Amino acid sequence: MFEIDIVFAFALFSIGLFGISSNKDFLRIFFSLEMLINSVIMILASSAKYLNLADNLPLAYMFIIIATLEAAVGILIFAAANRLTNVVTPDELNEELSQ
Amino acid sequence: MSIVFLTVVLVLAVASLTLKKSIASLISFALMMLVLGLYYIFLDEKLLGLFQIFIYTGGISVLMLFGITLIGREYKPSRKNPWTAFVASVFFILMVTLFFNNHDLLVFDNNINVEDRELFVKSYSDFVIIFALIASSLLYGTIKMMSALKRKRDV
Repeated sequence: MFEIDIVFAFALFSIGLFGISSNKDFLRIFFSLEMLINSVIMILASSAKYLNLADNLPLAYMFIIIATLEAAVGILIFAAANRLTNVVTPDELNEELSQ
Repeated sequence: MSIVFLTVVLVLAVASLTLKKSIASLISFALMMLVLGLYYIFLDEKLLGLFQIFIYTGGISVLMLFGITLIGREYKPSRKNPWTAFVASVFFILMVTLFFNNHDLLVFDNNINVEDRELFVKSYSDFVIIFALIASSLLYGTIKMMSALKRKRDV
Protein backbone atom coordinates (compact mmCIF):
# COMPACT_ATOMS: atom_id res chain seq x y z
CA MET A 1 0.00 0.00 0.00
CA PHE A 2 1.16 3.49 -0.84
CA GLU A 3 0.46 4.90 2.64
CA ILE A 4 2.56 2.20 4.34
CA ASP A 5 5.42 2.83 1.93
CA ILE A 6 5.36 6.55 2.59
CA VAL A 7 5.21 6.17 6.38
CA PHE A 8 8.08 3.70 6.16
CA ALA A 9 10.09 6.13 4.01
CA PHE A 10 9.56 8.91 6.57
CA ALA A 11 10.64 6.52 9.35
CA LEU A 12 13.79 5.57 7.44
CA PHE A 13 14.54 9.24 6.78
CA SER A 14 14.13 10.01 10.50
CA ILE A 15 16.48 7.16 11.46
CA GLY A 16 19.03 8.50 8.97
CA LEU A 17 18.62 12.02 10.35
CA PHE A 18 19.16 10.72 13.87
CA GLY A 19 22.21 8.70 12.80
CA ILE A 20 23.85 11.54 10.91
CA SER A 21 23.51 13.97 13.81
CA SER A 22 24.47 11.59 16.62
CA ASN A 23 27.37 9.52 15.28
CA LYS A 24 31.04 10.38 15.08
CA ASP A 25 32.14 7.34 13.15
CA PHE A 26 32.66 7.85 9.39
CA LEU A 27 31.12 4.45 8.65
CA ARG A 28 27.87 5.18 10.44
CA ILE A 29 27.66 8.64 8.90
CA PHE A 30 27.84 7.01 5.46
CA PHE A 31 25.20 4.47 6.49
CA SER A 32 22.93 7.31 7.58
CA LEU A 33 23.47 9.16 4.29
CA GLU A 34 22.55 6.03 2.35
CA MET A 35 19.40 5.69 4.47
CA LEU A 36 18.39 9.27 3.64
CA ILE A 37 18.87 8.61 -0.08
CA ASN A 38 17.05 5.27 0.12
CA SER A 39 14.01 6.82 1.74
CA VAL A 40 13.74 9.20 -1.23
CA ILE A 41 14.18 6.27 -3.65
CA MET A 42 11.42 4.44 -1.80
CA ILE A 43 9.03 7.40 -2.23
CA LEU A 44 9.90 7.64 -5.94
CA ALA A 45 9.39 3.90 -6.51
CA SER A 46 6.11 3.64 -4.68
CA SER A 47 4.71 6.80 -6.31
CA ALA A 48 5.69 5.36 -9.70
CA LYS A 49 3.81 2.20 -8.84
CA TYR A 50 0.65 3.59 -7.27
CA LEU A 51 0.22 7.15 -8.61
CA ASN A 52 0.94 6.60 -12.29
CA LEU A 53 4.11 8.70 -12.09
CA ALA A 54 6.24 6.36 -14.19
CA ASP A 55 8.82 9.11 -14.82
CA ASN A 56 9.93 8.73 -11.22
CA LEU A 57 11.42 5.29 -11.77
CA PRO A 58 14.33 6.35 -13.99
CA LEU A 59 14.91 9.14 -11.50
CA ALA A 60 15.26 6.45 -8.81
CA TYR A 61 17.89 4.63 -10.92
CA MET A 62 19.73 7.91 -11.28
CA PHE A 63 19.63 8.47 -7.52
CA ILE A 64 21.13 5.02 -6.93
CA ILE A 65 23.98 5.81 -9.33
CA ILE A 66 24.64 9.19 -7.69
CA ALA A 67 24.56 7.58 -4.24
CA THR A 68 27.16 5.05 -5.36
CA LEU A 69 29.37 7.81 -6.71
CA GLU A 70 29.00 9.80 -3.51
CA ALA A 71 29.90 6.81 -1.34
CA ALA A 72 32.91 5.95 -3.50
CA VAL A 73 34.27 9.50 -3.47
CA GLY A 74 33.55 9.96 0.25
CA ILE A 75 35.33 6.78 1.25
CA LEU A 76 38.23 7.61 -1.07
CA ILE A 77 38.63 11.06 0.51
CA PHE A 78 38.43 9.67 4.01
CA ALA A 79 40.81 6.79 3.33
CA ALA A 80 43.32 9.23 1.78
CA ALA A 81 42.95 11.58 4.76
CA ASN A 82 43.47 8.70 7.14
CA ARG A 83 46.62 7.58 5.32
CA LEU A 84 48.09 11.08 5.33
CA THR A 85 47.06 12.53 8.69
CA ASN A 86 46.10 9.42 10.70
CA VAL A 87 42.68 10.77 11.71
CA VAL A 88 39.69 8.49 12.30
CA THR A 89 36.67 10.80 12.52
CA PRO A 90 35.46 13.75 10.40
CA ASP A 91 35.73 16.05 13.46
CA GLU A 92 39.42 15.21 13.88
CA LEU A 93 39.98 15.77 10.16
CA ASN A 94 38.32 19.18 10.43
CA GLU A 95 40.56 20.13 13.37
CA GLU A 96 43.63 18.87 11.52
CA LEU A 97 42.83 20.92 8.43
CA SER A 98 42.00 24.09 10.37
CA GLN A 99 45.36 24.15 12.19
CA MET B 1 3.40 -8.96 3.71
CA SER B 2 4.83 -5.53 2.94
CA ILE B 3 4.62 -4.61 6.64
CA VAL B 4 6.84 -7.60 7.48
CA PHE B 5 9.44 -6.55 4.87
CA LEU B 6 9.44 -2.94 5.98
CA THR B 7 9.60 -3.75 9.71
CA VAL B 8 12.64 -5.95 9.08
CA VAL B 9 14.23 -3.09 7.10
CA LEU B 10 13.65 -0.61 9.94
CA VAL B 11 15.01 -3.01 12.59
CA LEU B 12 18.13 -3.64 10.50
CA ALA B 13 18.54 0.12 9.91
CA VAL B 14 18.49 0.82 13.64
CA ALA B 15 20.85 -2.12 14.25
CA SER B 16 23.36 -0.86 11.68
CA LEU B 17 23.58 2.47 13.53
CA THR B 18 23.65 1.11 17.09
CA LEU B 19 25.77 -2.07 16.92
CA LYS B 20 29.21 -1.50 18.41
CA LYS B 21 31.23 -3.76 16.11
CA SER B 22 31.82 -2.25 12.68
CA ILE B 23 31.66 -5.55 10.80
CA ALA B 24 28.34 -6.51 12.45
CA SER B 25 27.05 -3.05 11.61
CA LEU B 26 28.14 -3.47 7.99
CA ILE B 27 26.45 -6.89 7.72
CA SER B 28 23.28 -5.38 9.14
CA PHE B 29 23.44 -2.56 6.55
CA ALA B 30 23.96 -5.05 3.69
CA LEU B 31 21.04 -7.18 4.89
CA MET B 32 18.86 -4.08 5.12
CA MET B 33 19.61 -3.21 1.50
CA LEU B 34 18.99 -6.82 0.44
CA VAL B 35 15.56 -6.89 2.10
CA LEU B 36 14.74 -3.50 0.55
CA GLY B 37 15.70 -4.86 -2.88
CA LEU B 38 13.53 -7.92 -2.31
CA TYR B 39 10.67 -5.61 -1.35
CA TYR B 40 11.03 -3.73 -4.66
CA ILE B 41 10.89 -7.07 -6.48
CA PHE B 42 7.80 -7.93 -4.43
CA LEU B 43 6.30 -4.60 -5.61
CA ASP B 44 6.83 -5.83 -9.20
CA GLU B 45 9.63 -3.37 -9.90
CA LYS B 46 12.17 -6.02 -10.75
CA LEU B 47 14.84 -3.88 -12.37
CA LEU B 48 14.93 -1.42 -9.48
CA GLY B 49 15.12 -4.31 -6.98
CA LEU B 50 18.01 -5.90 -8.85
CA PHE B 51 19.74 -2.50 -9.08
CA GLN B 52 19.32 -2.13 -5.33
CA ILE B 53 20.69 -5.59 -4.55
CA PHE B 54 23.64 -5.46 -6.96
CA ILE B 55 24.72 -1.90 -6.19
CA TYR B 56 24.06 -1.63 -2.45
CA THR B 57 24.48 -5.19 -1.21
CA GLY B 58 27.26 -5.94 -3.65
CA GLY B 59 29.04 -2.69 -4.44
CA ILE B 60 28.68 -0.23 -1.60
CA SER B 61 29.01 -2.86 1.15
CA VAL B 62 32.30 -4.10 -0.30
CA LEU B 63 33.45 -0.49 -0.63
CA MET B 64 32.63 0.11 3.04
CA LEU B 65 34.52 -3.08 3.91
CA PHE B 66 37.58 -1.68 2.13
CA GLY B 67 37.10 1.52 4.11
CA ILE B 68 37.01 -0.39 7.39
CA THR B 69 40.13 -2.37 6.51
CA LEU B 70 41.99 0.83 5.55
CA ILE B 71 40.88 3.02 8.44
CA GLY B 72 40.41 0.46 11.19
CA ARG B 73 37.57 -0.92 13.22
CA GLU B 74 37.74 1.50 16.08
CA TYR B 75 34.28 2.52 17.24
CA LYS B 76 33.82 6.10 18.34
CA PRO B 77 31.02 6.60 20.88
CA SER B 78 28.04 8.69 19.86
CA ARG B 79 27.87 12.40 20.47
CA LYS B 80 25.92 13.25 23.58
CA ASN B 81 23.20 15.32 21.96
CA PRO B 82 19.86 14.39 23.52
CA TRP B 83 17.97 16.61 21.08
CA THR B 84 18.86 14.50 18.01
CA ALA B 85 16.33 11.75 18.79
CA PHE B 86 13.76 14.41 19.64
CA VAL B 87 14.32 16.29 16.37
CA ALA B 88 14.11 13.04 14.35
CA SER B 89 10.85 12.05 16.11
CA VAL B 90 9.33 15.51 15.59
CA PHE B 91 10.31 15.39 11.91
CA PHE B 92 8.67 11.97 11.51
CA ILE B 93 5.44 13.02 13.23
CA LEU B 94 5.29 16.27 11.25
CA MET B 95 5.78 14.58 7.89
CA VAL B 96 3.23 11.83 8.60
CA THR B 97 0.69 14.43 9.74
CA LEU B 98 1.27 16.55 6.63
CA PHE B 99 0.97 13.50 4.39
CA PHE B 100 -2.30 12.28 5.86
CA ASN B 101 -3.77 15.80 5.90
CA ASN B 102 -3.16 16.12 2.15
CA HIS B 103 -3.86 12.50 1.29
CA ASP B 104 -7.10 13.29 -0.55
CA LEU B 105 -5.22 15.20 -3.25
CA LEU B 106 -3.50 12.03 -4.52
CA VAL B 107 -4.91 10.17 -7.54
CA PHE B 108 -4.41 6.41 -7.38
CA ASP B 109 -4.13 4.15 -10.42
CA ASN B 110 -2.98 0.55 -10.01
CA ASN B 111 -3.18 -0.51 -13.66
CA ILE B 112 0.00 0.92 -15.09
CA ASN B 113 3.14 -0.59 -16.50
CA VAL B 114 6.21 1.05 -14.97
CA GLU B 115 8.71 -1.27 -16.64
CA ASP B 116 9.03 0.92 -19.75
CA ARG B 117 12.54 0.36 -21.00
CA GLU B 118 12.76 3.53 -23.11
CA LEU B 119 11.58 5.81 -20.34
CA PHE B 120 15.07 6.88 -19.30
CA VAL B 121 16.07 7.72 -22.88
CA LYS B 122 12.86 9.68 -23.46
CA SER B 123 13.01 11.63 -20.22
CA TYR B 124 16.61 12.06 -19.18
CA SER B 125 18.92 11.76 -22.17
CA ASP B 126 19.30 15.56 -22.18
CA PHE B 127 20.67 15.46 -18.65
CA VAL B 128 23.53 13.07 -19.30
CA ILE B 129 25.94 15.99 -19.79
CA ILE B 130 24.92 17.37 -16.36
CA PHE B 131 25.58 13.98 -14.75
CA ALA B 132 28.99 13.94 -16.41
CA LEU B 133 29.70 17.43 -15.05
CA ILE B 134 28.67 16.37 -11.53
CA ALA B 135 30.86 13.26 -11.70
CA SER B 136 33.86 15.19 -13.01
CA SER B 137 33.48 17.91 -10.37
CA LEU B 138 33.34 15.25 -7.64
CA LEU B 139 36.51 13.64 -8.96
CA TYR B 140 38.18 17.08 -9.24
CA GLY B 141 37.22 17.79 -5.62
CA THR B 142 38.69 14.48 -4.53
CA ILE B 143 41.99 15.15 -6.28
CA LYS B 144 42.18 18.70 -4.83
CA MET B 145 41.43 17.35 -1.36
CA MET B 146 44.17 14.75 -1.65
CA SER B 147 46.70 17.30 -2.84
CA ALA B 148 45.71 19.67 0.01
CA LEU B 149 46.20 16.90 2.53
CA LYS B 150 49.55 15.96 1.00
CA ARG B 151 50.71 19.59 1.21
CA LYS B 152 49.57 19.67 4.83
CA ARG B 153 51.62 16.57 5.63
CA ASP B 154 54.71 17.93 3.89
CA VAL B 155 54.50 21.12 5.98
